[in-house]
Amino acid sequence: MSYKIPMGPYHPALEEPYKLDMICEGETVIDANLHIGFNFRGIEHLAETRNYIQVIALMERVCGICSNIHTLTLCQAMEQLTGLNPPPRAQYIRVVVAELERLHSHVLWAGIAAKLMGFKTMFMTCFELREKVMDVLQAISGNRVNYSMNRIGGVNRDIDDPLAVLAMVEQLEREMVRTVIPIFTTSTTATSRCAGIGVLTREKAISCGVVGPTARASGLPQDLRRAAPYAAYAEMEFDVPVQQSGDVKARLLVRALEIIESCRILRQALTKMPPGELSTGDEKIVFTTGTATSRVEAPRGEVMYSVSWREGSRNPSRVHVRTPTFTNMPAVRWMVRGARLADTPLIQASIDPCYSCTDR
Amino acid sequence: MNLTTALARLLIFPGLLFAVPAAWFFLWVERKTVALMQGRIGPPFMQPFYDFIKLLGKSTPPRNGVGGLLMMMWPLLAVSAAAGAVGLLPVLPSSGGFEGDLILLLALLELPSMCVIAAGFSSRSIFGEIGSAREAALSVSYNVVFLLAIVSIAASQHTFRLEALASAAADRPSSLYWLGVLAILVCLPAKLHINPFSLPNAEQEIYSGPMTEYAGPELAMWELSHGLEWVAATGLVATLAAPHLAAWWLAAMVFVALSFVVVLLLSVTAAATARLQIDTTVRFYWQCTLIFAVLAISSALFMRFKS
Repeated sequence: MSYKIPMGPYHPALEEPYKLDMICEGETVIDANLHIGFNFRGIEHLAETRNYIQVIALMERVCGICSNIHTLTLCQAMEQLTGLNPPPRAQYIRVVVAELERLHSHVLWAGIAAKLMGFKTMFMTCFELREKVMDVLQAISGNRVNYSMNRIGGVNRDIDDPLAVLAMVEQLEREMVRTVIPIFTTSTTATSRCAGIGVLTREKAISCGVVGPTARASGLPQDLRRAAPYAAYAEMEFDVPVQQSGDVKARLLVRALEIIESCRILRQALTKMPPGELSTGDEKIVFTTGTATSRVEAPRGEVMYSVSWREGSRNPSRVHVRTPTFTNMPAVRWMVRGARLADTPLIQASIDPCYSCTDR
Repeated sequence: MNLTTALARLLIFPGLLFAVPAAWFFLWVERKTVALMQGRIGPPFMQPFYDFIKLLGKSTPPRNGVGGLLMMMWPLLAVSAAAGAVGLLPVLPSSGGFEGDLILLLALLELPSMCVIAAGFSSRSIFGEIGSAREAALSVSYNVVFLLAIVSIAASQHTFRLEALASAAADRPSSLYWLGVLAILVCLPAKLHINPFSLPNAEQEIYSGPMTEYAGPELAMWELSHGLEWVAATGLVATLAAPHLAAWWLAAMVFVALSFVVVLLLSVTAAATARLQIDTTVRFYWQCTLIFAVLAISSALFMRFKS
């Protein structure tokens, strides 16, 4: 006999405002329905009432984890409408902050995954590391959550001593290689909980249109930093980790390898950072009429902004956001079908969902 | 054992007067150890006691009919059974007891787990029912090893009397005896619902499992019964492993110290592991059963040939 388990609208595991209705038989999940929209804040409408300075501060509040990515994508779109090009140093600083944010997001996700396995000691270890990443971000930007680094045509703050930041990053890398990565890649307790569950085949991944680490774990080598480089990514050497099995373990491995790649990019960006200005366009910013889109590889996958402007207006006429969770979440239904109830929190978490920024 | 000593054992030591503070103390030790291993400060010493008092002061939602009565009854029954089990432990030398009290102890140790299962189903919450089903599957798995262990210990000493078993540790008992104590230790994490066998109350999967619908004084009773289970289960290992001592105060101190060591050992195991799935858990305990059964039979045959 089947029965329905309602998880949410405030999920106990992921602590996010969404609801998953699961139809189960015994401990096996037969089907699942996902409901979102519990945290709608009307940010896109509010953006239409803010000027081009205020809208950056507003869109930074879409997400508490990848706040920099949202302002970066918005600024890139607005730069297309104003014709401004950030100077090379600003492009490098954007790469540094974006990669630190990726480290922050992946370590946070590793902690949440550990918590979902009931491995709270590992959760605490990950969150301790996350604190250290936030310390580096604070040293650069003065802030721990909303970094306020991006502006139209450049960045707001300089990295005065890139080598000092490099020393902090190398210390972080050593700790991650010593603790987090081995536990998630070689520990039998962790891998036994992740191997073979929540499988998303390559074909299903293509038909669902998944992005980011979820796609890369299903054998799709897509990464905007490589396919459509922005900021200074064209000058960086890095690999795009791809796994073929499509299960939770593959998503775990992709993220663990991405942590190493992020450290590699950070090392290059901090050592090769060119001297120069932080921004262009100190004079009055003039927008042209039109719509510009910008895409960026956020820690969870592709973020897209579509910004429309009317010439002479101080406010945007439309700001549309598409977050990676919005494209990844329909795949959860296929992942949890046939899974055991005990595995479902981990499967849901494996796409690294952020329903608060999806709702906006 | 006369009525006075029986009452003294049940109400004073190792019974209620000792067991209730010991339960809070062991709960604190577990929480503090796990916290320290995780790099946290952990709760203050009195926290389990404060939790209990705070829960007692809260009101429970009104529940009518037989269902409400049953839901109120299960935690009380669990507390009584766990307290009775602690009272039966032969901590002090020449504490009396009767032939077959080991079987009563086993029954009393199992009763709280039965109450948890019944409570989950009585609450009519889907999370409670899943938690109860998991608890039942877990109980069926670890209890085979647990019972085999107890029976082999009893068989190695030719008695079902607890006091005789407690004094056996001093007389250089057979390898079968220590094998039994080890098997009991392996079962304790499942009996106490701690990692890696914490699946009946896996918060991230089924909220609080059988306890989801409980609040206020009833939940306080569940917490107390859980603490008493800690005292009874670790105390059982302590009495079986403790050397036989003539002085009662020394025997009591050794009992508390050994129990403390077992609590530390279990807490460290809980902090260092992730939660296993139900089928992995069941497989683990049935494999344990098989290994233990083979070892116990070979040990018994060996003893027979030796004698």
